Amino acid sequence: MIAERVSDLAETLVNEALKRGFEEAAALVSRSKSVMVKMFNSEISVVQRWSSFTVSLYLAREGRIMVSTIHPSSAEKAGAIVERAIEAIPQLKPSVLYAPLPEPEKVEPLPGLVDGSVVDAMSNPEPLAEAMLAEAESLGVERAAGAITLSLAEKGLATSRGAKLEEEATGAEAYLRAFVGEASGQWAVGSRKLRAEDLKRVARAAAELASQAKGEAKQLEPGAYDVVLSPMVVGNLMNLVGMMASALAVMMGMSMFAKAEPGSKVASEKFTLVDDPRTPELLGSTAFDDEGLPTASKPIIEGGALRTLLHNSKTAAKMGAKSTGNAGWISPHAWTLSVKPGDATLDEMIREVKRGVIITNNWYTRLQNYVEGIFSTIARDAAFYVENGEIKHPVTRIRIADRLPKLLSSIELLGKELYDISWWEVSPAVRAPYILARQINISRPFE
Amino acid sequence: MHEDLLQRCVEEALKLGASYAEARFHRHIGSSILSRNGELLGYGESIREGVGIRVIADGALGFSSSNSLGWGALKEAVAEAVKLARAHAKLMKRPIELAESRVGKAKYEALCLKPLDSMGLEEKSAVLAEIWERAKGAVKEARLMTLTAQYWEDVEEKTVVNSDGALVASRVPRVAVGYNFVLLHPQKGTLQRRFEFGGSGGLEQLERWRPAEHAEEEAAKLERVLLEGAEPPREPVDVIVGSEVVGLIVHESCGHPSEADRILGREAAQAGMSFIKPGMLGQRIGNELASVIDDPTIPGSYGFYLYDDEGVPARARYLYKDGVINEHLHNRWTAKLFGVESNAAARAMDHSGEPIIRMANTYFAPGDHTFEELIEGVKLGVYIRSYMEWNIDDVRWGQRYVGLEAYLIENGELTKPVRNPVLEITTGAFYSKVDAAGKEVRFYPGTCGKGEPMQGVPVWFGGPDVRLRSVKLGVVA
Repeated sequence: MIAERVSDLAETLVNEALKRGFEEAAALVSRSKSVMVKMFNSEISVVQRWSSFTVSLYLAREGRIMVSTIHPSSAEKAGAIVERAIEAIPQLKPSVLYAPLPEPEKVEPLPGLVDGSVVDAMSNPEPLAEAMLAEAESLGVERAAGAITLSLAEKGLATSRGAKLEEEATGAEAYLRAFVGEASGQWAVGSRKLRAEDLKRVARAAAELASQAKGEAKQLEPGAYDVVLSPMVVGNLMNLVGMMASALAVMMGMSMFAKAEPGSKVASEKFTLVDDPRTPELLGSTAFDDEGLPTASKPIIEGGALRTLLHNSKTAAKMGAKSTGNAGWISPHAWTLSVKPGDATLDEMIREVKRGVIITNNWYTRLQNYVEGIFSTIARDAAFYVENGEIKHPVTRIRIADRLPKLLSSIELLGKELYDISWWEVSPAVRAPYILARQINISRPFE
Repeated sequence: MHEDLLQRCVEEALKLGASYAEARFHRHIGSSILSRNGELLGYGESIREGVGIRVIADGALGFSSSNSLGWGALKEAVAEAVKLARAHAKLMKRPIELAESRVGKAKYEALCLKPLDSMGLEEKSAVLAEIWERAKGAVKEARLMTLTAQYWEDVEEKTVVNSDGALVASRVPRVAVGYNFVLLHPQKGTLQRRFEFGGSGGLEQLERWRPAEHAEEEAAKLERVLLEGAEPPREPVDVIVGSEVVGLIVHESCGHPSEADRILGREAAQAGMSFIKPGMLGQRIGNELASVIDDPTIPGSYGFYLYDDEGVPARARYLYKDGVINEHLHNRWTAKLFGVESNAAARAMDHSGEPIIRMANTYFAPGDHTFEELIEGVKLGVYIRSYMEWNIDDVRWGQRYVGLEAYLIENGELTKPVRNPVLEITTGAFYSKVDAAGKEVRFYPGTCGKGEPMQGVPVWFGGPDVRLRSVKLGVVA
């Protein structure tokens, strides 16, 4: 998309750093364009467009490490961070995390990361916004809010071990919150590809949930309920599990896996969660990590057992493991997450519920204690009380307030249909089904 | 220093037919040090700079940003903002208009007594190592499983120019130090604490904060909670809510619902809406002690500014006053729709963000009680001094705070520690049940998230300790 190759820029920076006395260097250069249409009250609040150039540099000397990130106003200015680093690095003590950058391994490029229809739509996304709002309106929605984001980004990586890699990818994310009276429903989609039909499906799902939630929403008595969680909710909670799977999160006391050994049971045997960078249509997919190692799709939790934490070379060396291709130079992280489907339909799940709730969206997930996984999250939009397999009425002002390990262990059914979810509260993107978990604590505020 | 370039962007936008244009040069230069158990994990530097351009064309709002400062790239950014706004104008029901405002021509800096470069990295790293040493030394029976500590500094520079004549340049340095530890006891489990100091200014703040002493005290007190903490009473009791929790409560249940863009629904699909609806000014929200102020002009504050990103001079905003909804937070767009003047709440995180309505430093107004006076009449109650978990629903009515350091109050005295008391309460109940407030206001830093894409901006929130009468507390499941 742009004349000068980002991997060449990265290589130049690495060479410059080595020339200036650093023993090791890695440079990640990214250039992107993106556009976002933000909507509310079924009109446009703002149309935003970004053009961004980011250079990140990892430098090491005698076990001292630093990472610099700069949004330089020109490629030439990027070199200034090497100058700054020369001053900074002698003042640092060696890092306890230090391990050498890895030898490059063969990276199989990931085809299908770029969709021309995303690029085409970026010059004027108005028809997409109009179609989404029209679809919602045709289903009786009184007003809708949401956003459509389209992006084209390229990243180039070079390391002093000889890795030189480049990748280009598009992204399309859309979500809509639809209102019918006081009731609302929300849905989302995220993909490398733009399909007009996906956006309409999001509008339809949001509209249908809002319509179903019409009528007086009642409060629930606090206590234990079976919960049917939509892929929106599963996505939000899996972001948390994915974050906790980072080996650095474990080291920093920010993970429920701090006390778990690989192979130990951490969830229901029906549950499998995959870090899934090699599935190209998922937002976040990529062929290589920030150390130049190939990525791999692999289970974090498989059949309820913890299979692996997510490592870069540093955390791997520290914990006696092997990098999983999830660098982050300092902090390893999930690229994009998939939950393995089950074989249930949503109706079958609901029929299994004696006394429970369906939660279709959530937000504001916070923890009292990461090691124990004590958390709460708030239901928003359509939520329903279910009794003896039937939806009885909408409910309001409820929270899940429980322990994450308990919730994961209480999963009994997973849906057979998968949804690719990405929005304000779900990032990185998650491919997820509906799930049914038994006897989860629900709370509500004192009035 | 970039005035001419910014002026040129504004003129270009007007030439292309925009009815309003604004250009903001925005730069952050920052660094951070991360340590674990006293040892260095890593050091990072970051420079973010560029120009954000906002225009109104054919009644629609367009925003564009570029981190290239070359005229070619900026001219393209201006043209794109105008073009995109115009392309979406047909979906507008009400054209975007801005209220008349007295915008400023000014230049200001936040005071920095001890410059950020007056200490080397070694010395700054030593601050973090000392936090570990002191906290570790304070724990007797339990074990300090892990303690991470972070030092962070940033200098934010901005120049705002708009077609209504604003020209405001500012420079605000900020420093923050935070820590996060986990206490472990084989029989009692774990307890986790995060705390952060932050403010605008220089390294003189470190001397005031004394973070290592703070961590030492916290570790000692929380070890006692871990070892001896009992469940809170099940029946309704009086609750003394500590200023750390009060600060967060007013941020969540007064500051956010008072944002006029949220009241109008602009954030409905993201950070949510508000229980406050247009026309609710003057309605009662609590008793006469319930006054909440948001003031960007507090010297040394984390959310400090004197002009907002639309060039409007800042002032204190009395959001709830004597128990009544008194004033919302406005930018020039919402001010026009509400028929008032902007009270300068428009702020952007960096050059890539559109200015949106943000809090600055939000606090519960002080009362006249000492802490001893607050608890002396309490027969049975709970004092919740700090928290970890919190959240609030998307109209800002039902909220939850899970206490960390907490004590039983029996016959006017603090007695034994209480473990994980849950204050889950509606906004109306909180402001109606306050029956006394302490004299001393204390502030806590935070990074408040809002907007799409998410923009995190520095804020303070605070207040005195307050007393609530007859509240039912929950327990962690």
